[in-house]
Amino acid sequence: MNAYGLLWGLLLALLSTAAQAQNDTPPQSGIWIPNPGADLWKAVRQRGQPEPSTTQVQGLDSNQLINVAGEKFRDWRRERFIRYAAYLLAGVPVVILLFHMLHGAMKLEPSGRKLLRFDLYDRVAHWLLATVFLFLAFTGLLLLFGRFVIVPWLGLDAFSPIASASKEGHNLFGPLFLVALLWVFLRFVARNLPAWRDIVWLLKGGGAFGGKHPSAGFFNGGEKLWFWSLAVFGLLLSLSGLLLDFPSYAPSRELLVLALVVHGAAAVILVAFSFGHIYMGTAGVEGTLEGMRDGTVDANWARQHHDQWYAEMVREGRLEALSEAQENRAETTTGQLEEGRT
Amino acid sequence: MTVAELVDGPLWTVALTVFVAGVAWRLLVLIATGWKRDLSHPRSGSLGGAIRGVVGRFLPSQGMAGRLRLHLVAGYLFHLGLFALLFFAAPHVDFYRDRLFGFDWTPLPHWAFILAAEAAFLGLLMLWLNRVLNPVTRLISESGDHAASVLTFLVMLTGCLALARSHETLRLLHFFVVELFMIYFPFSRLMHSFTFLLSRAAQGAHYGRRGVRV
Amino acid sequence: MARLKFYCDAERCIECNGCITACKNENDVPWGVNRRRVVTIKDGEQGERSLSVACMHCSDAPCAAVCPVDCFYTTEDGLVLHDKDICIGCGYCFYACPFGAPQFPQDGAFASRGKMDKCTFCAGGPEENGSSAEYKKYGRNRLAEGKLPLCAEMCATKALLAGDANVLADIYRERVIYRASSSLRRGVDLQKQNLGGNPGAGS
Ligand code: HEM
Ligand code: SF4
Ligand code: SF4
Repeated sequence: MNAYGLLWGLLLALLSTAAQAQNDTPPQSGIWIPNPGADLWKAVRQRGQPEPSTTQVQGLDSNQLINVAGEKFRDWRRERFIRYAAYLLAGVPVVILLFHMLHGAMKLEPSGRKLLRFDLYDRVAHWLLATVFLFLAFTGLLLLFGRFVIVPWLGLDAFSPIASASKEGHNLFGPLFLVALLWVFLRFVARNLPAWRDIVWLLKGGGAFGGKHPSAGFFNGGEKLWFWSLAVFGLLLSLSGLLLDFPSYAPSRELLVLALVVHGAAAVILVAFSFGHIYMGTAGVEGTLEGMRDGTVDANWARQHHDQWYAEMVREGRLEALSEAQENRAETTTGQLEEGRT
Repeated sequence: MTVAELVDGPLWTVALTVFVAGVAWRLLVLIATGWKRDLSHPRSGSLGGAIRGVVGRFLPSQGMAGRLRLHLVAGYLFHLGLFALLFFAAPHVDFYRDRLFGFDWTPLPHWAFILAAEAAFLGLLMLWLNRVLNPVTRLISESGDHAASVLTFLVMLTGCLALARSHETLRLLHFFVVELFMIYFPFSRLMHSFTFLLSRAAQGAHYGRRGVRV
Repeated sequence: MARLKFYCDAERCIECNGCITACKNENDVPWGVNRRRVVTIKDGEQGERSLSVACMHCSDAPCAAVCPVDCFYTTEDGLVLHDKDICIGCGYCFYACPFGAPQFPQDGAFASRGKMDKCTFCAGGPEENGSSAEYKKYGRNRLAEGKLPLCAEMCATKALLAGDANVLADIYRERVIYRASSSLRRGVDLQKQNLGGNPGAGS
């Protein structure tokens, strides 16, 4: 039965007189029975031009009798969003696993010669964003799926504190995501400007399905796609999240519902994308994690995956075997190895 | 005795005792160790030097500022945020009144409390990430440093999770981690909250007497 | 079991707000929360009507559907009640409810608005009937005492009714019949005065 079921029934039954006199024009013959409130109920249900209404009670939308966005929100959340989000978030890891089993990791034969790839601030910014992202994803997904996964398993009394903790933690860490996102954006955007070869890279699927490794600069097409998705969806997430953090500043419930819809969708898309990113950074491609951990990568790794960048580094004479002491220079914040400073 | 009663009762007494006695004992030992007699001819007063040492070190010395930018920003975010949280968050003020001092003071409004928490989390995360990602600090960090960072983070995190103040379980979890923190405190790097005064003053006095300007 | 319902007759409501006062007083409702409110349509214009609204105790309640912790439950009488011990104060129910019935006692930054509060049909909550814990969280449990919600009991014009849906429907049907016959009489009067067929004259 439809949500409003009984309610509509009641309203309609009660107002049968109004319903009879839908058309305001009196009949030409017979007795015209004037209708006490012809347009009233249309207004109540917000059909056609809603009438301005008033109330003594102060509060968000308190002068509105029926909020039509509410039912759309329920429908979206219960009939669509939660289900498709579950499919997506369960499906992507399965696909990745299958890919890994068929394709295996991309191997690296270390040359022992290192290149500086990410300086200290690059790495701190990246891991700050990653930490906050993972925490927000974990707590957010608990709020989204907990009722269907954890409640049947642990019960309501156990889930309630978990959900409360998730909500408070999520609300508090949210703004930090925006801070970290802006930091990462500013530090990495110059290296992520799109180029023609990135499109070629994407069309060739990064060379994952055989063939020569397509050409790539500092970042390849896939990495740039991830960067820009993160920027766009991350901003949407942050803005909608901030509105949800301060619901008292929202002008209407419609906008809050819209924010929840956008927030949920963007979050699920980013989490699904992040699975791929995490796979490529760890198990998928040998030698990649080192770049974000220590700041240096093996020269062979660079030649394999980022040939243009590698060529540039060679041209500029940056390729050198980093000794223990030189490795410590990865702490410099300028992105370059500065000579004469240890 | 239930876990809840243990955490709320005896364990708190133990933690408070260990904390107070431990901190007092460590400070007394440090002070009682005394100073080596300085036979040099005093070039200027040691008291002024001590004060300069304590106050002046709040800013990095010239030349270091650029290299320490992250430390400076994150360090201040974390310490100021934590200080505001610890002493001026409404739930803490209530706690001090009910369980410790019997009186209270004006707490921060809720939004300022949250802002302080944001600053503290951001600062601590950046400091710890820097610790593990910077090859130099990674090399000189040992388990004690990481334990202190992680424990502090857990105290803050459980506190943040209990923000709704509606679930006893969450409050107890926070309280339990705080008790662990307090027991660990006197025997760890966390003592720097007190000893930084001693070391800065001692070094400042030494420099002052020798007429060294930092 | 009976299905308990509210019904507000817009032809009778005079916007006195007595139901709201009764509710606040009987249930010791938290500051800032209005479990019931009176909304006036076409205020000051011809055809003005008022309606008193609170939770309608929907048969398939949207609030319960969107709640992330599933803390609503429907009683045997068809009342939609809410468990404040489980609620985490996220506000989804407030966004989903067609009538804006769930409300928050506070209005803090970072969505810290306390636990949601809503009309209970004067039936308390999951605590033991009539206990002080129940009163503190949800207000009076009049239903357990065999009484109906105070808002309806207090309504001076009997516009607001509460009770078994079948009984309410009977009462209303009777009202409609009387009203129809009086309208009919008015129509006949109008025709007698030779005003029938002129839409501008009637209403
Ligand atoms: C600036 C960043 C963010 C802010 C301010 C923010 C804020 C919020 C708020 C206020 C809610 C409503 C929760 C409640 O009150 O119970 C929410 C829900 C949620 N958030 Fe975020 N969030 C942010 C980032 C993220 C990120 C990065 C993710 C995932 C990667 C995420 C995933 C979710 C999910 C899955 C939900 C539940 C949605 C639903 O139940 O429909 N959020 N967020
Ligand atoms: S709170 Fe709103 S959605 Fe829930 S039962 Fe009441 S009227 Fe229906
Ligand atoms: S505010 Fe409470 S009752 Fe409403 S949806 Fe959230 S948890 Fe459920």
